[in-house]
Amino acid sequence: MGMFKTSEKLEEVLGGFFKLMADTPVIADKLLKSKLVIRFSYTDPDLVVVVDCSGEKIDVRPHDTDSKAIVEMSMSSDIAHRFWFGMVNLTKALTRKEMIAKGPIPKVLKLLPAIKPSYAMYPKYLDENGFEQYNITKAYKPPTA
Amino acid sequence: MLPEFFEFYNPTKVVYEDGVATDLKPELDIIGIKKYFIVSDQIINDLGLIKKVTDGLVEAGYEVTGQYTDVKQDARLNDVQTCTDQIKSSGAEGIISIGGGSVIDTAKASNILFSEGGDLVDDYSGAHTLTRPLKPHVVIPTTAGTGSEVTMVAVIYDEENKEKLAFVDKFLLPNLAVLDPQMTISLPPKMTAATGMDALTHAIEAYVGTQASPVSDSFAVGAIELIMKNLVNATKNGDDVEARGAMQIASTMAGISFSHSMVGCVHGMAHATGGLYRVPHGVANGIFLPYGMEYNFEEIKEKLARLAPAMGEDASGLSDDEAAKLVIEAVRKLGRKLNELDALPLRLRDVGVPEDGLAAIAEGALNDGTSFYNPREMDEEELLPFIQKAY
Repeated sequence: MGMFKTSEKLEEVLGGFFKLMADTPVIADKLLKSKLVIRFSYTDPDLVVVVDCSGEKIDVRPHDTDSKAIVEMSMSSDIAHRFWFGMVNLTKALTRKEMIAKGPIPKVLKLLPAIKPSYAMYPKYLDENGFEQYNITKAYKPPTA
Repeated sequence: MLPEFFEFYNPTKVVYEDGVATDLKPELDIIGIKKYFIVSDQIINDLGLIKKVTDGLVEAGYEVTGQYTDVKQDARLNDVQTCTDQIKSSGAEGIISIGGGSVIDTAKASNILFSEGGDLVDDYSGAHTLTRPLKPHVVIPTTAGTGSEVTMVAVIYDEENKEKLAFVDKFLLPNLAVLDPQMTISLPPKMTAATGMDALTHAIEAYVGTQASPVSDSFAVGAIELIMKNLVNATKNGDDVEARGAMQIASTMAGISFSHSMVGCVHGMAHATGGLYRVPHGVANGIFLPYGMEYNFEEIKEKLARLAPAMGEDASGLSDDEAAKLVIEAVRKLGRKLNELDALPLRLRDVGVPEDGLAAIAEGALNDGTSFYNPREMDEEELLPFIQKAY
């Protein structure tokens, strides 16, 4: 069993965070420049979210399994959760198939600097929106070696 | 300092011998199939290199079911489909690619469709999308630079959408890499120098990159030592079999290294320059390498200093700062020697890049996927002065 017990809770937490990022210009402006449409497919619990950066504003669409995505990212909900804390080594996750990325990888990689501010936003967002129990930063010790 | 995590995976068997490409029976017998399709390009065909290999295959009892020799500079999506159709209809059981990076990457991508069917872009572009081994793929490189014979990457140009697609998968690693100096003897001096600088850039960027490990470092250092000792000779005396062989081995070692620890801003600038002004990849890497090392200097100087012996420099008694500068100067010295042989341009202005295009190179480098792996966080304004120096 992962950190999130139900798909509804996962949607509430991650879906809410995606919407916060969509409303944060320092992140949203760069994402919109990419024109990417990314489908995140999470497991344990299951959830599909499309983040559509092809328009004038970022459109976050939970449960969208139909529209054509440019990039498909598949991972467990726990990996997704840890990613937004900046705790996931992307190369490691891809190598070990903890994440599967379909589509133009260079375009995904170049988005990473753009979303860096989100790593600091996520724990704050959790604390401020009644999701403190999901804030794992206090227990996390970064590697020293 | 040890990395938090690393994985080393290289199942590709590597064989080296002068003339081995015409005598592959022992290696192919282990792979266990009999019918091979050849993927190559017209230049390699005109040089008679394909015939050398296929004569050896036939003599050893193998069947060559056909050959596709229309691979162009930059592996292209349309070529992959045509090549795959020909492989399938020929009744082949495996592929032998003979050529440089574009040929090898075309063969890798074709092998995906040959083995699995489906749509290359929709079903397989991305990272680690394959679920099982592909059909056997034997690679005989005819340049010493790309390293693609031992990497899990294929880069294919989509002409319709004008973008490069990356396929990254451990199942793309070839079964066998055949290093035969006879296959690079006819490589002209300019190509020898440019591809050699590409290999050196792979090794140095892999060595100082964020994903480097002690294992990838060992391949990088070995490659650097061989390149520093042999690139000038291979360029000056194309018939020097030992220098040619050393460069092939170095290129493969650098390929193993960067396949695991990635490359950084030098490649980012070279990709941008190639895309904007059609400057060949190896030439652009050769021009940018010392400037990229200087851009990263503060982040990499301690590690760079340790490269001095491999670069043929005596750094005893020097501080890290001084030794690292000596290493960068050694790269410049190598570039100057190749330039004196009229084999390598050293400035962007000499390869058709306009002065008002430098900012676009900085922007392109920042937007390149390699920027993620660069040891210093990349900033367009901070990078631009280094590109201006390279002009």
